[in-house]
Amino acid sequence: MKLFSVIALLFLAVTVLWTPMGHTEEAPTVDEIITKTNQTAYYQGQDGRAQVKMTITDQQGNTREREFVILRKNMDDKNEEQHFYVYFKNPADVREMVFMVWKHVGKDDDRWMYLPALDVVRQIASSDKRTSFVGSTFFYEDVSGRSLLEDTHELVETTDNYYVIKNTPKNPATVEFDSFTMHIHKTTFIPVKVEYEKGGKVYRTVEARKVDTISGFPTVTQSSMKDLNLGTETTLDYEKVEYNIGIPENIFTERFMRRAPRQYLE
Amino acid sequence: MSFGKWLIQSSVNHPRGVAGAMLLVTLALALCVAVPTLWPGIIPLPPVRVDTDPENMLDSEEPVRVFHNDMKRAFALSEIIVVGVVNDTHPEGVFNPETLGRVHALTEYAKTLRGSELGLDDPQAGVVTIDIIAPSTVDNIEQGGPGEVKFEWLMPGPPETQEEALAVRDRASKIPFLKGTMVSDSGKALALYLPITSKDLSYRIYTKLRAKLAELGGDDEWHITGLPVANDTFGVEMFIQMAISAPLAMLVIFLLMLYFFRKPVLIIAPMILALVIVIINMALLVVTGNTIHIMSSMIPIFIMPISILDSIHILSEFFESYQKFKDRRKTIVHVMDNLFSAMLYTSLTSAAGFASLAITPIPPVQIFGIFVAIGVMLAWLLTVTFLPAYVMLLPERSLEKFGASAQKEEAEAAAGRTLLGRILAGLGHFSYAQARVVLLIAVLLSAFAVYGISRIQVNDNPTRWFKASHPIRVADRVLNEHFGGTYMAYLTLAPESSEENAGAYARDLEMRLRDRIVESDIPEAARPALTTLADAVPEEAAKASSPDALVDTMKARVETGLNGALDAMMKAPETDTGAEALVEAWEAVSLFVDMESQRDEVFKQPEALAYIERIQAALADTGVVGKSNSLADIVKTVYRELMEGDAAYFRIPDSARAVAQCLITYESSHRPHDIGHFVTHDYRNTSLWVQLKSGNNQDMKFVQEKMDAYIAANPPPLGLKHRWFGLTYINVVWQEKMVIGMLQSFLGSFLIVLMMMIILFRSGLWGLLSMIPLTVTIGFIYGMVGLVGKDYDMPVAVLSSLTLGLAVDFAIHFLSRARDLYGPDGNWKDVYPVMFGEPSRAIVRNVIAVAIGFTPLLAAPLVPYNTVGVFMAAILGVSGVATLFILPALIRYAEPLLFPKNKVCRITCHCGTCIVTGAVAAAAVAVNVQQFLNTSWTTLTLISLGVVAASAAGCYLMSRRRTCLAPASESVEEI
Repeated sequence: MKLFSVIALLFLAVTVLWTPMGHTEEAPTVDEIITKTNQTAYYQGQDGRAQVKMTITDQQGNTREREFVILRKNMDDKNEEQHFYVYFKNPADVREMVFMVWKHVGKDDDRWMYLPALDVVRQIASSDKRTSFVGSTFFYEDVSGRSLLEDTHELVETTDNYYVIKNTPKNPATVEFDSFTMHIHKTTFIPVKVEYEKGGKVYRTVEARKVDTISGFPTVTQSSMKDLNLGTETTLDYEKVEYNIGIPENIFTERFMRRAPRQYLE
Repeated sequence: MSFGKWLIQSSVNHPRGVAGAMLLVTLALALCVAVPTLWPGIIPLPPVRVDTDPENMLDSEEPVRVFHNDMKRAFALSEIIVVGVVNDTHPEGVFNPETLGRVHALTEYAKTLRGSELGLDDPQAGVVTIDIIAPSTVDNIEQGGPGEVKFEWLMPGPPETQEEALAVRDRASKIPFLKGTMVSDSGKALALYLPITSKDLSYRIYTKLRAKLAELGGDDEWHITGLPVANDTFGVEMFIQMAISAPLAMLVIFLLMLYFFRKPVLIIAPMILALVIVIINMALLVVTGNTIHIMSSMIPIFIMPISILDSIHILSEFFESYQKFKDRRKTIVHVMDNLFSAMLYTSLTSAAGFASLAITPIPPVQIFGIFVAIGVMLAWLLTVTFLPAYVMLLPERSLEKFGASAQKEEAEAAAGRTLLGRILAGLGHFSYAQARVVLLIAVLLSAFAVYGISRIQVNDNPTRWFKASHPIRVADRVLNEHFGGTYMAYLTLAPESSEENAGAYARDLEMRLRDRIVESDIPEAARPALTTLADAVPEEAAKASSPDALVDTMKARVETGLNGALDAMMKAPETDTGAEALVEAWEAVSLFVDMESQRDEVFKQPEALAYIERIQAALADTGVVGKSNSLADIVKTVYRELMEGDAAYFRIPDSARAVAQCLITYESSHRPHDIGHFVTHDYRNTSLWVQLKSGNNQDMKFVQEKMDAYIAANPPPLGLKHRWFGLTYINVVWQEKMVIGMLQSFLGSFLIVLMMMIILFRSGLWGLLSMIPLTVTIGFIYGMVGLVGKDYDMPVAVLSSLTLGLAVDFAIHFLSRARDLYGPDGNWKDVYPVMFGEPSRAIVRNVIAVAIGFTPLLAAPLVPYNTVGVFMAAILGVSGVATLFILPALIRYAEPLLFPKNKVCRITCHCGTCIVTGAVAAAAVAVNVQQFLNTSWTTLTLISLGVVAASAAGCYLMSRRRTCLAPASESVEEI
């Protein structure tokens, strides 16, 4: 794990020129840190696109790969409303499948799935967001972002490089963890490591393994999620990341789920 | 007999030395076990290791076990503890807020049962939390609003109202995976499935769960079962029984001996002996690095009666004759002289009976057989050395009145006054006077026994090792009434890996590609270019090294075509819809070719899933399988819910892509890893979960045979082959090995015992005669087993060797004494009344001591212990009766043959004896060797027939020798 942190730091070193909050003398408040982190992790640019290679390693060490394109568009400037469009390219049997989300804050997200072989678009309702994202170790919520309102945040430590923030759910019945701790890089505000714990034991860890600066935005280009209970690990490699490409709003509709917008997916 | 004399003389001369040496060895061995167990690492010896896993009945390298473990790993399956809850007081059964609240609490508690909570170092060891099947840990999939599919926990939290509680039941009943597995078909009961990382943790978890349930309270009825719990609990209770039953049996035997011999100081000796033998034997077992298995835990119970038998013979004789000599040295020497060879042979036969278990193919049974055999010989050695030594250590005056009453009795009349004496005298008279009746009854009983044996049911069920009232048995009964079954077996299907025929594949690919091109979604304009692609297949196939290489080159060609079409579209004006249609046509073909790379994923193919469906229907038809779960069930359920819950869509979708998309939808739930329990990551190996309502091996065997027949009659598609695994199945495999192995080892040891008898009596006829009570006893006991309907299970099978070893003992004692008493010019009419004096009393005392001594076993909560208790009584009782009735009756009629006036005792001079010996030896070798070499019977039969013929010829020649002719010319009479 240490090795990966070192690699992450190396990448971060490249990005120090870009400083998110200027050189403030005062230490930021907890709210400032988490707001900025949330912005860095999920809301950079007006919109964005990435080709993602997902490698799922199961308990027995076998791997499966999935490839998809993610389109994302912010729908307000408060870092709240947001649309996602996930188009599956590989393996061939799930090609043309689309997963679409209208993310909301303060109410449930709207989610849809288009299954070409069944020729159906279905809205997906779920009591919670902590279900697997297409069979990977990541949860849906890890990909779409967890609302800041769901937890209370506490700055437990400030190291040379990180703010360590402990997040405790306000409604513990809706989640399977007791709390999670984020190691947030001080200058980029990238959560380099997040650890979920239950009963005093860490059982689930996300790490940002590679960080690049793309169009001026510090961007995680490889992240990995490990679940000790499941014994699985999933790595996401983000390739061809682009920001502010001008994705029209109408792409995020059922019409374009059934008929993929080719020019935005290549 | 010079060795015997020397042995006894030395013991009598050096009593202190003998006793001291024995105690020293015992103490040393006990320390060798105690030290490494209590303080591991101090001396390089193995500690006590316990193993109660019936799986270990098979060698760990046994193919079926290797496969079982491989599959458990491949499908990430664990052994399962089943917790069931039933509520008879509430009208809706367990579906009320209170009960479901407790179910929720118990589930949450079960999740904590791992790592340090169980006192384990590995934090993941214990309950496999992610695989728990409980209302709060499984997903529900159902319709939300129109066009909406809902995924959520079936029971996110304890329900607050009755309506919510019923909703849990109704939702679960719609999910095939849960109905009959988690929710009972009646809708009144619930079962939780707790997978565990290791079977040997089940008792710990079982105990904790029961404590938690007591704490939760309520009016529900909770039951915990499952094979691992049964196995582990058996192990724990078995050791408790070892500590209770064996000492209790000792106590009862002590009291009985006290009643017979009235001299505590003397009867203490056999008790010490039994204890010492058990300690030395068990210590040897542990020191040699063996684990104490279910079988070996019974060693003490087996050795004790055997060691006590000899002691009772000695004491009985000592008791009868002490007053004659009034000198302990003279008496003991006299007694030992009388009994030495009988005891040696009874011990040798018992040892042979058990040692023959070493040739069964079941490791724990081998260990058991070898160590009981060692114990038996040890018992003999200590009996002939320590007992005389012990007698010498007693002060003479302490024996003053010993046996006095018996002496008086002997003096008064041969018939005696005691009840035992009178009965025996009457019995002796009856067997002489009514010999015909006795023999007729024996023949009738034997015929009846043969009928009984033909009705024997071979069947075992580790759950039935508990008495019917045991909580585990009760749980087993209740849960299997309500649910599809708590006994898991798994049926795998996988294609036989065979090299794909490259030429055939290319032709097939080309044909399908051409079909694809003319489908309606491909515009006319695109077809010429795509046809060129299809035309290229044979040419590319000729160059390609394998089908996969062919697919790769085709992919490259399609990519070039697609890129060209894309470029053309970019350059074309926006209004040109043709350019885009061309791109789409290339995309369609690209998808077609890319799907070829997934053609190996067999269990995404609808036809493979349809076959699974048919297998499941056939399983249900067996009537023994309560429920089966498969990948097909998951796919069908998801498909139905994706198609708006329409029951018509509860079927396998039509294409592999549709299957894949149903599966990825399922994978977006809380439990994507569930799929991995049914299919491997490459979709080339599937497992069907088969739930059986009983753990009876014969039921599993029945299902196995039915399915073999079904699959043979309905050949699977795609070259699929089936194979079973799972604990329930493994039990069948070792049972089959055991039955055949035991039968062969029994036959083998029967022949060896017969040979020993022939050698002991120097006569084929006497040898055969001595086997008669044994044969009748075995026939009678196993006939009863068949008639009563008791299953022939592991304990019953193992007891056959005990029967063999013990049942011959009385015959040996009886016949050798009879022959001694008969002397050179005896008369049976005069001899039998004496035989029904002291020798018969010793036999009856033995029967009573051991039969009653082992009654405490009947009170044990474990059925195998009861079985042993009943068998002990039956073996001794029946063989005692058979010896005392049949032998004298037979001797009466065979007197001239048995006591010829021919004095030549060379075995080789008696042609008949010689031939019988040769045949028996050949058969014994054949039976025993057959188990080691996997030669077929026919070859060995031929060889042994040859040996028999050769030995017969040899015998004939030998008996015609000059030396044999000398005394009399009737040496052929014995045939």
